[in-house]
Amino acid sequence: MVSKPNFDTLVEAHSAEIFAYLWRMMGEEADAEDCLQETFLRAFRGYSRLVSDSNYRAWLYKIATNVARTHFSHRKRAALRRVEIDPSRLHGGISPIDELDRREMLSAVLEAVEDLPHKQRAAFMMRKYQGLSYHTIATVLGGTEAAARANVYQALKKLRAQFMAATEGSREER
Amino acid sequence: MSEEITVEREYGNWLDEADSGSPPDLFTVVLDELYASGPNPQETAHAQDRLMASVGKERIYYDELPRSPIGPVFIALSAHGVVAIDFSDGEEAFLSWIQKRTGVYPMRSPERMAESLHQVEEYLAGKRAAFDLPIDMRFLTDFQRTVLRAVMRVPRGEVITYGALARVIGRPKAARAVGRALGSNPIPIVIPCHRVLASDGSLGGYSGRGGVRTKADLLRLEGVSL
Repeated sequence: MVSKPNFDTLVEAHSAEIFAYLWRMMGEEADAEDCLQETFLRAFRGYSRLVSDSNYRAWLYKIATNVARTHFSHRKRAALRRVEIDPSRLHGGISPIDELDRREMLSAVLEAVEDLPHKQRAAFMMRKYQGLSYHTIATVLGGTEAAARANVYQALKKLRAQFMAATEGSREER
Repeated sequence: MSEEITVEREYGNWLDEADSGSPPDLFTVVLDELYASGPNPQETAHAQDRLMASVGKERIYYDELPRSPIGPVFIALSAHGVVAIDFSDGEEAFLSWIQKRTGVYPMRSPERMAESLHQVEEYLAGKRAAFDLPIDMRFLTDFQRTVLRAVMRVPRGEVITYGALARVIGRPKAARAVGRALGSNPIPIVIPCHRVLASDGSLGGYSGRGGVRTKADLLRLEGVSL
């Protein structure tokens, strides 16, 4: 029988990754930080009941995903706020376009991401930016791999459609 | 099912593999600009610190100055200050030494170590006379603390003998014990045990890499003529 690692070890091994995930899910640093605290607090409480050969990483993602859902429903839209507050983060990937268009596009994507159903946003972030396998995502979200894949696909389809609509709309206005 | 096949065709480049062959479209560029880089390292460090504080666990960080006149230098830092500096052994030996001394397995953190590494680097380049770093002496005995605090009052460019140092701390007969306390100085350079010489004016001992030769180099760097 494999012994469980110290809880501290889990915190050290996974807190940065879970924080990045929550940051992507919440769209904001302060919310992500609160969620990180909450995630590991819940994890700490449940740790003694966890069996020793569990997939700790998936387990932490699962808790984080639940925490993010709760926090997300309790707050206002962060999208526009973030683009205003933290422009330094957005370093010129879209150079040929003027600043206004750029901001509009960033806002459009942020809004679209925030409008996604929770599961789709979670699956999408885990797959595209956290680099998790569909197998792990399925474990986290509690479904099949095909379902995880469908969630990512639906998310992407909606994001792209909303982005296209927003950018075409703004072009027509001129 | 048919939808899944479309997924593969349209987004297969990153859905299943990280690498993408084709140039990204505008939507992908905007998306990546927002999400690809992730939170910045300071934000992450801050969030982790808050987390560790709430878990109630001591944390020690370290990093390495890979090139210096005395070879690679490792530095470890706690919330209280510098815990250790080492330039005798490799990384693994350094980490297990810290672990044994403090009970904490240190984590590499360039963000948190930047300032202390910078000061040591400046000092070794002859561009800094004194250090402005907090020192964590919690893992030492009372006697070691007394000796090392006394050594810290010996300024750059000056030296003292083991015997004189023993008198300074009010233990005139303890020159040998003073020598041993200095020999186990966990924070060489910043706590300048190299400024302590034998009574006959010879260099005495030094336990860092290069031994007394390093000691002589450090003293010359400080303008002491030997």
